Amino acid sequence: MTASARALGLLAVVLALAPLALPPFFLQLLTEIAIVGLFATAFNLLMGFGGMVSFGHAAYFALGAYAAALLVKRAGVPMLLALPAAPLAAAAGALLFGFFIVRLTHTYFAMLSLAFAQIVFTVIFKWKSLTGGDDGLLDVWPPAMLKSPAAYYYFTLATVALSLFVLHSVSESPFGYALRSVRENPRRARFIGINVRRLQLLAFVISGAFSGLAGGLFAFYNGSVFPDFAYFTKSFEPLVVALLGGAQSFFGPLAGAFGFKILEWLVSRQWPVYWPLFLGTIVVLVIVALPQGFVGLAGGQGWRTRLIRKS
Amino acid sequence: MADPTDPQELVLQTIGLRKHFGGVLAVNGVDLSVAPGDVRAIIGPNGAGKTTLFNLLTGDLTHDSGRIYFAGEEVSGLPPHQLCRRGMGRTFQITSIFRRLSALENVQTAFLSHHRRHYNILTPARRLYRDDAFALLERVGLQEQARKPSGILPHGDQRRLELAIALASGPRLLLLDEPTAGMAPRERHEIMALVARITSDTGLTVVFTEHDMDVVFAVARRITVLHQGSVLTEGSPAAVRANPDVRRVYLGQLTSC
Repeated sequence: MTASARALGLLAVVLALAPLALPPFFLQLLTEIAIVGLFATAFNLLMGFGGMVSFGHAAYFALGAYAAALLVKRAGVPMLLALPAAPLAAAAGALLFGFFIVRLTHTYFAMLSLAFAQIVFTVIFKWKSLTGGDDGLLDVWPPAMLKSPAAYYYFTLATVALSLFVLHSVSESPFGYALRSVRENPRRARFIGINVRRLQLLAFVISGAFSGLAGGLFAFYNGSVFPDFAYFTKSFEPLVVALLGGAQSFFGPLAGAFGFKILEWLVSRQWPVYWPLFLGTIVVLVIVALPQGFVGLAGGQGWRTRLIRKS
Repeated sequence: MADPTDPQELVLQTIGLRKHFGGVLAVNGVDLSVAPGDVRAIIGPNGAGKTTLFNLLTGDLTHDSGRIYFAGEEVSGLPPHQLCRRGMGRTFQITSIFRRLSALENVQTAFLSHHRRHYNILTPARRLYRDDAFALLERVGLQEQARKPSGILPHGDQRRLELAIALASGPRLLLLDEPTAGMAPRERHEIMALVARITSDTGLTVVFTEHDMDVVFAVARRITVLHQGSVLTEGSPAAVRANPDVRRVYLGQLTSC
């Protein structure tokens, strides 16, 4: 068994036993960390592996959250059937928007993704009869058996673990290799026979789908959904989390989610107003002193960073 | 070599190829015929249109008029990835590799794409085509560097790696845009000897541009000379060397320097 496999096994045991030792508040915090971790990992399939920085991933998070919430509230569909609609709706949105977005690169890519997300936000905000507008949709709860913090924690943990397993397989698959080659050098990638735009679009759809699943999980955790799920500030959450944790590593965003949420809790508890100031300082420190993010503290992969800083 | 006059037998043919940038006619009605097994050098003074012609052939630029045939089929306007799928391999004037991937991963990815596995999203890729990739790296003399990140390899090794990437796509035509650019004289001859060895082993057709005339005359079987966007002459190295027009064009450039 490799060291990383042992570490994962240990982590699984600790997380599985957590409800025995931790009060409900911390289970909720861990649930939120898992959801943000999934969102940031899905986002980082694009940024870390595909070299595509989206400024509008809140769109797919919100599409997932609203798809699940609307099915429960407006159609009376049970939660366990409504949740799978979250990644499907988000994937459909990612396919539609991504078709246009992957035609652009760098800043233009980021700006168009942001523009589509603002469209999603505006539609949710204005379409009061369907989405409730600014009031959101309330009482979006899971069924009784999943309602306790411990039960929903286990449910989220299992869903996120399965999703991360799938995303990890994707990143290590032939598709994952091809995606890295496109990140490194699109021109060369074309001349090994890769249809770059189509490959990028597939990555966009996979990333959007799992962002949507994170949104769906969050809807039932939160018990309500609001338009600001699609707002641009939400789009920067996975970006910051992935940068903090380490965008060059698959598990970086997960580590980032853990650090981000724990710090947010520690700081907000004492000085609620100053959290953004702390966050900004931490982001600057990490980018300057720890370009590999939190996972860089664990060592390894030094040459990759040297190359990043050189180029 | 097959009959060079039969268009069905030609690997590459262009008819009246033309491209202008603003008011400059960079490529002005180029007719080119490359038979299987040819090792063709395209030479000419700076600004003769070599690189533009190259980019037209590889689909990086689209031409204004004329036609391009590859292996008997018209390929005018096809994008690079489709030309690659049809058997066109290339290297770039500025070394073009996947810098943050290991040399092995560079070649493996090319194999994965060649075998159309790159939309496979769930099987692990680590062991796929690894042996093929090692064998190819050995062929270009990079077996010791296989696990190193390609971006830190010396320039000459990166050129070899790029050649291996191009070969992994199983091309029948290899287009090399100044394969010895930026290399020391000894390295130049090494890499061209490698190209010559590979072509004689496989019967691969090669078209290359090159500034170093020693390299050109040592390797090329036929030479096409471009001047101001048009073909000045074409023939065997001996014939081109003896051609007074070629001498005039190159001498003219020398005196103007």
